[in-house]
Amino acid sequence: MEQTIPVQNIDISLLIERVKEARKLIIDMASAPTGCHIGGSLSVIDLLVGAYARYYGDPDTVIILSKGHAAAALYATLHVYGIIPDNPADSYGEEGSLFTGHPNHKLPGIPFATGSLGHGISYAAGWALAQKMKGTKGLGIVIGGDGELQEGLCWETAQIVQAQSITNFVYIVDCNGGQNDGYVDDISPIRNLRQRFEAFGFVVREIDGHQLEDIVASIEPHPDRPVAILARTIKGKGVAALEGNPESHYAKIPKKLAYRWKVGLS
Amino acid sequence: MTKSGRDSYKDELTSLASHNEQIVCIEADLGGKNHPFQQQHPDRFFNFGIAELAGIDMAAGLAEAGYVPFFSTFASFAALRASESIKLTMGYMGKNVKVVAAYGGVSGGWFGTTHHALEDIAVLQSFQNIRIACPHGESETRRVIQEAAASEEPYYIRLSRNDSFDSLLRKEEASCREMIVVGEKRNGLSRLCLVSVGEQATELCQRIIQEDDSIVHAHLCYIDIQSLKSYTEQLTALSHRFLVVEEHRATGSTASYLALLLPKYEIYSHDCGEQWPSYGGTHTEVLSYLGFGYETLQQQIQDILGGTADDF
Repeated sequence: MEQTIPVQNIDISLLIERVKEARKLIIDMASAPTGCHIGGSLSVIDLLVGAYARYYGDPDTVIILSKGHAAAALYATLHVYGIIPDNPADSYGEEGSLFTGHPNHKLPGIPFATGSLGHGISYAAGWALAQKMKGTKGLGIVIGGDGELQEGLCWETAQIVQAQSITNFVYIVDCNGGQNDGYVDDISPIRNLRQRFEAFGFVVREIDGHQLEDIVASIEPHPDRPVAILARTIKGKGVAALEGNPESHYAKIPKKLAYRWKVGLS
Repeated sequence: MTKSGRDSYKDELTSLASHNEQIVCIEADLGGKNHPFQQQHPDRFFNFGIAELAGIDMAAGLAEAGYVPFFSTFASFAALRASESIKLTMGYMGKNVKVVAAYGGVSGGWFGTTHHALEDIAVLQSFQNIRIACPHGESETRRVIQEAAASEEPYYIRLSRNDSFDSLLRKEEASCREMIVVGEKRNGLSRLCLVSVGEQATELCQRIIQEDDSIVHAHLCYIDIQSLKSYTEQLTALSHRFLVVEEHRATGSTASYLALLLPKYEIYSHDCGEQWPSYGGTHTEVLSYLGFGYETLQQQIQDILGGTADDF
């Protein structure tokens, strides 16, 4: 049985290559006739690839992308790890394709359909509670967005996680500062985020969400408390025309532009 | 002494959990103190507090890991407040979660509209893939809990508050998926078949047929779409005319779906009408305010059958 990969055994240069390949796939999906949520996919991709590097293959651990609009990033991650053999960009959004605009649980490696925000947090917490009951070392790992924290369900779950002492729960927040209609700070700011999570009994780790060394090292349970990882990220990361621009939330781009963006990936 | 549906549920689940270590009992602050499951299986009992969406979603996480979680709260808070959690986890994804919803209909009586659920079946039926059961009385409730625990299908089990009834007789080996027919005519069709869903409805129908043996009573415990489809052949062998008695709105009711399944038959509904249950009173009194009760049912039967006694 495969187990969690120790941090020191992870080849960061390989992860960097995987992330780059995944970013190209995300750009390709943005050039599909439907387009995709490219900004949040590019911001979260390092977190996904890092989480899978540590925990893919551990049958007792689940990784859930709760900010399901970044489905392109999840599909790309599952493809670069070989979990989904088909190239998702070849049929993303097309008639009859399971590569829908939000994660489809009928695909391998996706236990829960997500996209209606907040639910993924609770799915992961329930999984973590199950592992706690079974006495395994398995984790419930969830990756959500900062805008998603406007959903009460996130905090409803945090309350239960604290009350039930679910310490094998890791909540990664992709803090890219954007949401559908603009900047989080302009719509409904999530102030004092560290203090909020600490008030719910979490150990809080703040990291650069594009530094793979930091990412793989941070996704680690705490012996006594649940963990919240606040990952500072850039919406549209890697594509200069998109970086930090909330307008990058969703894009449909021509193939030629996709080619230029892939060549110019930073 | 006959137990209420709620107490039967707690008791039966506690008993089943002694032999099935996968069963988990989750409450949302409405299970009451001294819950028998908590006393006998404390490691598998969780009171998540007042958090219905998270409760059902977390139950889905437990189910994904192999457990059989039973989540209980009031019907309104489950089917309406947490409807998206039910839609996605139980309907769309088919996770093995059992929602046990007490206070179905207006069984909360004087608690008021916030605690009533006259719309839950409409919501649940529209989600697809979820077994919906409305057991009547203690033994049927116990059997539904047994069936839910043994099944890998998601379940929505609608219970009342504290009413207690003796269930209709059912063969020991028979599933609650089978309808119970009382007063079936040996030769030919009955001029009317009362179809009961839920406890109060079943009691009303039993009372009616005791006074009029020309009417037959079909009691349905399961009312999800697949179950309703399974009843049609047996129902149409009983009568050409059906009056569905159900503590629910007409919209999205069992009567409305049976009418779609049986377009050539007469389907009527005795339901809770269109008023909001704004006033206090007992369960029966609130039902009466909504036009649901013995006298109004009698009148409705007379209206339906007027001059038709010899039609068949």
